[in-house]
Amino acid sequence: MLRIIGGTVYDPANGINGEVKDLYVADGRFVSKTEEGQTIDATGMVIFPGGVDVHTHVAGGSINFARAMTPEDHRRTQAFIRTKTRRSGLGGMAPTTFATGYLYAGMGWTTVNEAAVPVLSARHTHEELRDIPILDKSSLVLMANNEIILDLLEDGEDERAKHILAWHIWAAKSYGVKAVNPGGVASWKWGKDAKHLSSKIEGYDHITPGVIINKLAKMVDSLGIPHPLHLHCNNLGAPGNVETTLETMRHLEGSRAHFAHLQYHAYGGDDWGTMKSEAAQLAEYFNAHPNMTTDAGAVLFGDTVTITADGPWQHLLYKLTGRKWGNLDVENETGCGIVPYTYRPSNLVNAVQWAVGLELLLLINDPWRVFLSTDHPNGACFWRYPEIIQLLMCADFRNDCMAKLPPEIKNRITLPEINREYTLYEIATITSAGPAKALGLPHKGNLGIGKDADFVIYHHDKDIARMFGHPRYVFKGGEIVIDDGEIREAPQGREYLIKPSYDPNTDDFLKPLFEDRYCMSFENYPVEMERIEHAQIQNCDATDATN
Amino acid sequence: MKPITLKLKREPTVTLEAEVICPDGFAEMSHEQIAASVVYHGKRQVRLDEFFDIEGERSEHLVLHGSLQRVRHLGRGMSCGSMTIHGDVGMHLGALMKGGQIEVFGNVSDWIGAEMSAGEIHVHGSAGQQVGAAYRGSLAGMRGGLIVIDGSAGIEVGMRMRKGTIIIGGPAKDFAGLQMKGGTIILRDGAEIRTGAWMHRGTIISLKPLALMPTFAESGQYNPTFVSVFSRLLRRHGFELPNDPAKGVYQRYAGDRSVPGKGEILIWKGHPEG
Amino acid sequence: MQKSKFLPRGRKDRTVVLVDIRETKSAKAADLFLQVRPGKDFEMLTILRAMIKGEHVTDDQVAETGLTTDVLQDLIERMKKAKFGVMFFGMGLSMTRGKHMNAAALLTLAAEMNAFTKFVAMPMRGHGNVTGADVIMRWQTGYPFGISFNRGYPRYNPGEFSTVDILVRGDTDCAFIIGADPGATMPRPAIEHLAKVPTIVLDPHVTHTSRLSRVHITTAPAGIAAPGTGYRMDEVPMPLRPALNSPYPSDEEVIRRIKEAIAEKPDWMTDQPQMIFSQV
Repeated sequence: MLRIIGGTVYDPANGINGEVKDLYVADGRFVSKTEEGQTIDATGMVIFPGGVDVHTHVAGGSINFARAMTPEDHRRTQAFIRTKTRRSGLGGMAPTTFATGYLYAGMGWTTVNEAAVPVLSARHTHEELRDIPILDKSSLVLMANNEIILDLLEDGEDERAKHILAWHIWAAKSYGVKAVNPGGVASWKWGKDAKHLSSKIEGYDHITPGVIINKLAKMVDSLGIPHPLHLHCNNLGAPGNVETTLETMRHLEGSRAHFAHLQYHAYGGDDWGTMKSEAAQLAEYFNAHPNMTTDAGAVLFGDTVTITADGPWQHLLYKLTGRKWGNLDVENETGCGIVPYTYRPSNLVNAVQWAVGLELLLLINDPWRVFLSTDHPNGACFWRYPEIIQLLMCADFRNDCMAKLPPEIKNRITLPEINREYTLYEIATITSAGPAKALGLPHKGNLGIGKDADFVIYHHDKDIARMFGHPRYVFKGGEIVIDDGEIREAPQGREYLIKPSYDPNTDDFLKPLFEDRYCMSFENYPVEMERIEHAQIQNCDATDATN
Repeated sequence: MKPITLKLKREPTVTLEAEVICPDGFAEMSHEQIAASVVYHGKRQVRLDEFFDIEGERSEHLVLHGSLQRVRHLGRGMSCGSMTIHGDVGMHLGALMKGGQIEVFGNVSDWIGAEMSAGEIHVHGSAGQQVGAAYRGSLAGMRGGLIVIDGSAGIEVGMRMRKGTIIIGGPAKDFAGLQMKGGTIILRDGAEIRTGAWMHRGTIISLKPLALMPTFAESGQYNPTFVSVFSRLLRRHGFELPNDPAKGVYQRYAGDRSVPGKGEILIWKGHPEG
Repeated sequence: MQKSKFLPRGRKDRTVVLVDIRETKSAKAADLFLQVRPGKDFEMLTILRAMIKGEHVTDDQVAETGLTTDVLQDLIERMKKAKFGVMFFGMGLSMTRGKHMNAAALLTLAAEMNAFTKFVAMPMRGHGNVTGADVIMRWQTGYPFGISFNRGYPRYNPGEFSTVDILVRGDTDCAFIIGADPGATMPRPAIEHLAKVPTIVLDPHVTHTSRLSRVHITTAPAGIAAPGTGYRMDEVPMPLRPALNSPYPSDEEVIRRIKEAIAEKPDWMTDQPQMIFSQV
């Protein structure tokens, strides 16, 4: 039991904007009052709900491949020393699992959503998630290039496809549906791509990326999945791709959708030489359409490693950089490319990307619909979030940074014309309350009575990056996990899953199809429930989802 | 300046990691501070004076004596001063070195001068593998400075080096100049196989015939001026490179075509006597 | 062989090329057999890398590998025409002269083939759960093998921290062997060192290593009498369900009990910060 007194509380989920308020915790949740336990005096300090990351890549085959590819980064990075109660680890571009928990918690994040899991490697992903301490976790299963589902959509068997989709979500023990470059990854198996919503998909005659997106979003809504279709649009990273993105948004009117790392989908121009920001155009459309949420996928300058199921894009990036390239192929389901990359302010394309991420965060006016992310590790590593918060809160700092960009950046970005500065209340929204709501986790990102006592106490500091990089205390489930930079406890977190309903005959229907295509037996495919530590099954409510 | 002397008094039973033995740190330390410096005997932290008799203090010149084969990381990242070592030395000697000089009267193990950027290492004996190389995964090995090995060397001499010079007196093993990106390797006594494999740029000079990769192409014979200039610079290390047209010529090979790279391998061909 | 939507005729729609230093039984199953001269794998692969880019390599240079320019040209044409190529490789490549660079040559060729068509490469791992060990070490430490924890955090350097090198140099004063029989496969100095230091072996069977060990704990064979997870060589994990009962404990249980016993002892890490920013 715990009492936190005198702190200035920012709790957007309850409309509390910087009020001095005492908080009470018992059994891991907020309670109305308790007289027992430790008292922490937070007078003059700032209290936030624990951060929630709606889109990150922290576990599974692809990030684990990235780890193998970057020993040179592991050597130069922060190392966590083992103690009697804590495991060792390494930070850096692709942190090890234990370090991932320490680093996220170290800056006050307590819930993360692993955004890309092929069913075939779901068992592996859950094993890694179990080795990420402190955090609560969820994961999204990759479905937009699954051969069996695409075949059913090709034949117009939409209802059947929906049951198969629900079956796969449960088989993977996942929390929702991710679509990456729908149709494009399937085409990449033949070395081709599908850049537009009407593009031909190799091996199919009727369906297009547009059809897949549309149908998947409707299935997700009709199954009542708490988190909407989580979409990585086609044509990522390419100049002029804003057209594809807008077309996708128009396709999804009437459905819920979460647009992942929108920064990578907001470019104008015809080629790398003329590439420019179209964040303003995209934000304008987005602001007018409340059916959508997004995360920024912001870029920061420096070294990172890019990881995405978008294989064709990664091959292009490998050719552009001439550096290392890893490429994974996951049988009938998806694939993945991995390329270490350095974003440089002197590089005009990188400079535009840097500006676009910030522009989207600043031009989308509803903080409940745009969330802080870097698409870790693609745009930057997650442990650099405090730098982005500083860029959002301090226009002067932003202007200082812009002065270092090449002069040709003028007329390519709108960032210099934006004066908006985020308030602490808005930061608490885009880092916690908003993403928790979008994920459908009402007990997260919320300091109300009965909610999970995951929260952070920050020192007030004019240096915003320092303030958010070094919390005074971090609490997870009412327990102090970080105390002035020291890791005090590393408790095991939960994993959120859903079990959408599907036709009980689905197994019988799927088995022969599966055994025709896959190289494992059908019984071995679904992840066993015993493998999930502290599993928590969230409800799917088919009536509730679409409003 | 009077040097600090370290004499090994008992041989470590497992590896002894002693990156603290470095001129940069010792230049500012009292005798007691030096003696109390932490070294790792296996996983256990022990005082430096448990393994060494130490004389002197506050000096950037170090003299070491003893069989130091199990002692690793000596002079790691040093930027100034000197280390003179009488005895055989373990791995990573002078790795990441930024300046100063190391001289070894004995043999050295693997990874000496790995990823160094400046300074000089002279080994009077032989060296192990990966002299002046890049650590696994790094894009660049040695970035500057000079390594002279009087004896032989193991595989992957100068792997991915970008700049600087490595001179091997005895024969080198496989993959000398592997994936080299710049700089110069001089093989005074030739090398085994796959010399210059996958090289992008840079120069390898061999005074003995080499069995080259099939992806190198002959590209003329000449007596390059830069060899003479280079030879004058190397005189203080006690040898010269032949370049008298009356005595012989360098056969030039370009490659590695698989990359495709623009490196060059020069092999000295002496004219037959008389 | 599996028939599929894109390869409806199964084996007939596939082309198998075997490369080896001698004609093995597998050659009969292949459409094309290329006999490369022993020790010339690296050269052959490097020539292929040059030739796919249109670089000229002379007939004499190609002949050194035991093959001819025509044969390699034909191979390249088949590879470029393939819709989806896979290169499998094993210890004949990675454990012969050139070792990791032979594997690197094949992986680089596979990467570079993607300029023309889809290609991937996959190692055929040794027996046992080698891939599983590799995968888990990566997520827990960032590195696949050859890891030292003596400084309290993971460090990696094959050649320095890999088992055979540590044993040959005698850099360890104790050995704990699980799921392997180095006494049967490693060079003599390594085996002699294992016999010299206290060696502890966990194995269901009596092995070369268990014979020279101080302690041999018999364990239940994983996958037969003990459950667990095995990672396939494509890194897909498979549940292992035991078919038999065993009177012996599983490896996991033995290790857990050893770990608990060690936890009772005083910690060997003296006061250290929780994290450091400059590694050795």
